[in-house]
Amino acid sequence: MDSKITEVSQMFDRFQASFMRKDYDTCDRLLSQLKVLLTEFKSLPPLFQETPNNIRELTLARHIYEYAVILSVKIEDQDAFERDFFQLKPYYTDARRLPPSAEEYPILGLNLLRLLVQNRIAEFHTELELLPPNALENPCIKHAVELEQSFMEGAYNCVLSARQTVPHETYVYFMDLLAKTVRDEIAGCSEKTYDSLSIKDARQMLLFSSDQELSEYIKEERTEWEIKNGFVFFQRSKESTPCKEIPSLQLINQTLSYARELERIV
Amino acid sequence: MAAAATMVSSAGGLLAMLNENHPALKLHALSNLNSFVDYFWPEISTSVPIIESLYEDEEFDQRQLAALLVSKVFYYLGELNDSLSYALGAGPLFDVSEDSDYVHTILAKAIDEYASLKTKAAETKVESTKVDSRLEAIVERMLDKCIVDGKNQQAIGMAIECRRLDKLEEAVIKSDNIHATINYCIDVSHSFVNRREYRREVLRLLVKVYQQLPSPDYLSICQRLMFLDEPEGVAIILEKLLRSEVEDDALLAFQIAFDLVENEHQAFLLRVRDRLPSPKPQLSATAQSGSNQPDSAQSGSAVPLQDVQMTDDTQESSSSLNLDQHDEVYAERLAKIRGILSGETSIQLTMQFLYSHNKSDLLILKTIKQSVEVRNSVCHSATIYANAIMHAGTTVDTFLRENLDWLSRATNWAKFSATAGLGVIHRGHLQQGRSLMAPYLPQGGGGGGSPYSEGGALYALGLIHANHGEGIKQFLRDSLRTTNVEVIQHGACLGLGLAALGTADDDIFEDIKNVLYTDSAVAGEAAGISLGLLMVGTASEKASELLAYAHETQHEKIIRGLALGIALTVYGREEEADTLIEQMTRDQDPILRYGGMYALALAYRGTSNNKAIRQLLHFAVSDVSDDVRRTAVLALGFVLYSDPEQTPRIVSLLSESYNPHVRYGAALAVGISCAGTGLSEAISLLEPLMSDVVDFVRQGALIAMAMVMVQTSEASDSRVGTFRRQLEKIIVDKHEDTMSKMGAILASGILDAGGRNVTIKLLSKSKHDKITAVVGLAVFSQFWYWYPLIYFVSLAFSPTAFIGLNHNLKAPKFEFLSHAKPSLFEYPKPTTVPTTTTSVKLPTAVLSTSARAKARASKKEAEKASGAEPSAVLGSGKGKAVDKDGGDAMQVDSTAEKKAEPEPCFEILTNPARVIPAQEKIIKFLEESRYIPVKSAPSGFVLLKDLRPHEPEQLSLTDAPSSTTSNAGGSSAGQPGSASAMAVDDEPAPPQPFEYTS
Repeated sequence: MDSKITEVSQMFDRFQASFMRKDYDTCDRLLSQLKVLLTEFKSLPPLFQETPNNIRELTLARHIYEYAVILSVKIEDQDAFERDFFQLKPYYTDARRLPPSAEEYPILGLNLLRLLVQNRIAEFHTELELLPPNALENPCIKHAVELEQSFMEGAYNCVLSARQTVPHETYVYFMDLLAKTVRDEIAGCSEKTYDSLSIKDARQMLLFSSDQELSEYIKEERTEWEIKNGFVFFQRSKESTPCKEIPSLQLINQTLSYARELERIV
Repeated sequence: MAAAATMVSSAGGLLAMLNENHPALKLHALSNLNSFVDYFWPEISTSVPIIESLYEDEEFDQRQLAALLVSKVFYYLGELNDSLSYALGAGPLFDVSEDSDYVHTILAKAIDEYASLKTKAAETKVESTKVDSRLEAIVERMLDKCIVDGKNQQAIGMAIECRRLDKLEEAVIKSDNIHATINYCIDVSHSFVNRREYRREVLRLLVKVYQQLPSPDYLSICQRLMFLDEPEGVAIILEKLLRSEVEDDALLAFQIAFDLVENEHQAFLLRVRDRLPSPKPQLSATAQSGSNQPDSAQSGSAVPLQDVQMTDDTQESSSSLNLDQHDEVYAERLAKIRGILSGETSIQLTMQFLYSHNKSDLLILKTIKQSVEVRNSVCHSATIYANAIMHAGTTVDTFLRENLDWLSRATNWAKFSATAGLGVIHRGHLQQGRSLMAPYLPQGGGGGGSPYSEGGALYALGLIHANHGEGIKQFLRDSLRTTNVEVIQHGACLGLGLAALGTADDDIFEDIKNVLYTDSAVAGEAAGISLGLLMVGTASEKASELLAYAHETQHEKIIRGLALGIALTVYGREEEADTLIEQMTRDQDPILRYGGMYALALAYRGTSNNKAIRQLLHFAVSDVSDDVRRTAVLALGFVLYSDPEQTPRIVSLLSESYNPHVRYGAALAVGISCAGTGLSEAISLLEPLMSDVVDFVRQGALIAMAMVMVQTSEASDSRVGTFRRQLEKIIVDKHEDTMSKMGAILASGILDAGGRNVTIKLLSKSKHDKITAVVGLAVFSQFWYWYPLIYFVSLAFSPTAFIGLNHNLKAPKFEFLSHAKPSLFEYPKPTTVPTTTTSVKLPTAVLSTSARAKARASKKEAEKASGAEPSAVLGSGKGKAVDKDGGDAMQVDSTAEKKAEPEPCFEILTNPARVIPAQEKIIKFLEESRYIPVKSAPSGFVLLKDLRPHEPEQLSLTDAPSSTTSNAGGSSAGQPGSASAMAVDDEPAPPQPFEYTS
């Protein structure tokens, strides 16, 4: 078993080295091998078997997965981030015997941010509820929580300005994505609210710095919008279906047949 | 364990791992998920599509694991169908021997699925429905495992359900105790196999297995062969046993014969009898003349007696003869077994038992007689019916004799039934039946007798010879042909139908059909029923002829008779009858639909077939005709009688229906299916109906209650006593409706039927349906339209007796043990004299409330007396013919002395003894006894093996027949005067004829 640990730690060392070199392709390849190797340790989740080296193994594995998460941010792969994060999570939630990791809160905060970016507010709150109360004091978590609050209030400016106050360098990637989420949100709202807007207003509203950017955005994301005579027309699909008719005939028939059946029974 | 202490709190990590690219990671995730699925299935269920896609991925080499995981998740989600299909995909990974809920459930599902597929394939006769081979593999794996583990009952159940006769055979042969296994198998096939055809296949297989055994259980084989209707097989076995050197084998043969007789399958028995080969020409001639009644009607009553006589003679002579004369012995045994198979031996013994143990309480009848108004003819005839039922088969007609004046008030049809009642009282009096009825029978030279009594007498003859009418058929046919009076035709038709029950005799059919085509309402009704009785269970083509005539005729009575008749023809045919049932239940005419209900009831009698029940319930709530609805509910009783506990549950809602006809039907359904069980739920259901607002519902409930409670003693259910008192109250109450009064009178009769020694039983001990009994109750339930049909209830009576017989078919002195307090099963106390004297003294005030109060008070006294009395009566045989009044006085006297004595917890019974069904469980045979039973049955006819054959035997049951029979044989014309001389004998004497004075 010791040999295995050594093997894993050696490979992990190589992984860290290439990570430092920002050789992410190598990292990815090494990571995959590491993960396969890790499946052979019985002390890891979900088995948590008592082995002589379990603390060491757990710590090592946790470290690997923390790196995996960060790597996924670096290579901007959200799916990988989710995958790795979930695999990492048991180490935080279930393996309480381990000394807490320094990376724990930053990564949890990252995850919250990711959920915010993907507009998965429900899951965001679920995750939040699972955290201990004192964790909310942690700047990483606090940052995410505040962002969410501003996001909900519609204080989009605050959201965008928060980019400047990121507690961790890895957050930048998500903050960029968040700007886009905010824009989508605004766009969605405005198309419900207005029939049309002047290009200038629209640009301000959607937080674009130039008309060019606006028209590109419309071309890519909102093909149903139209720019005409200096106005943006929101051709929202007005298929707001009228209130559904009450199926009165059907109901009457049903009730009558019930009555008939009732009479028959007994 | 530490692992349990640090459990993962979520399967999220593993689920995330499924999305990894590396197959090793996927595999790791899958196998871990598989072991944690019990805890994390809610989480996994959201990711099922991912796992499913893994399963569908042809490249992935652990597809089966994925399938297993998905199957488990679906199992937890309650989607058993999906779960099963994925479990099949899991192949060998699905471990049938795993002991988990999941595996059990899915296995059950798989077996169900497989069974239903196989059944469908078998029923449609098309092989197109290909069974999934993986499914088959799982089921086979399971079956093999059960067989290897020795779980034979499981294996048998599954094999039967899945129609895997090959596996069934394997399971039976490999079991440790083959006999027990086969018996289990038979039980299962009777109670759970719905298709008649398939059941036959199973039984045929079992017979095959039986015959391969080194020591076959002939009793069971013969029962099976009877079900399969294969008389040759039975005949061969019987012959083998009879020819054996060993005395025991002959006893066994007799036992087999008695057991077969109990199932009342007359046609089958006759065929067995005729197939038994004769030993030598000259001997066979005598034997033949003994058992096969010649056609001559004149000697009809005398010949069977010769049979008995002859057996006696040969018996005596054979003891002196050399035993080497093998044929001699065989001939003698053959004669005996023919006697048994023809049913005469058992009928005769039964009659002797009923006569000697008769405990009917004439005071009850007296009370009834005095309470009913003279001019109320309904109650008057009801009393006559009650008397007949109370004394059914006992040959005791004291009551009628003592009240000739009163009896003479019966006129017209009442006279018909009064005369027919004699038939019930003398039921089974095969030898002297005709001489008994002679005074009332139509006289050849155009006598001056009333047609009503003549018709009644013919009906009575039928009742006497019900299902054993060899000797009387011809006479009844002649009577039928020579008369044009419709009342006589009516009686003759009923009588003929009863006597020739189920024989499907073509000549008789033609005769009755001629009567039918005269289109007379009265005669036609009886003819319709009679045709049904004749053709019972034949499912013959002639039914359609009858149906056509039913459409043609204008008379409702005829249609009704025919409808019932047609229903009778499909008796026991189950799915074969479906076409006819369909035809009848769709008819425009409510009377034919009503017949359809009976057809359903009789075709699926005692099968608890779900389809039949569903159909009946549907008609019970949806038909427009009250008659049809009533009958549909009533018919449920017939379908469910093999499972009496079910009936109260199924009809409980119907018994609260707003429609009185449905309530009535519910009451009778419970009465029919729970008859003689004393089932507590049944009583609880009927109790409220007894105080219904509608009179005929009360009537039905009273009758049904009596049927349920027959032979239940007050000690085992206190409600019996309450019921008896209630009956008396209703009868005495002046303001009570005639209908419920009649019900109460009939109920009193049924409650004490056959001298308190019979019960109503629709199933024989081997769980076969007793055809006569079922038919009897079916026709009995027609009394709604035609009171004389009430007498058919007597066909359903079966004596509750243990009758032990030695190799001479005589009852030796033999004692055995009933391991319970005697009071639990004793006869009800005779009603006390004071009650009746008050009513005699105050004939005008009898019905007032004061009289009732008095009656109640005296009842209470009586109760107190009987309650205090510890009733330490040892041996039921002791109180055989105690004078009522004297016995009563004695009991009261002894009360004080016996008070301190505790009741013994057992009772010694002496052969022949009354053993009621509830008692059968606790009957034990004494070990040091001289006789041991061939088959340890607690009741019925049991052959006893004599361990000390050289000691002189002491016979306990009357062995008088020889003297009586010779006497009767001499006076075959039946001069009644000579009979009185034999009154001292134990053999019941033929009664004096009495004439009506009207």
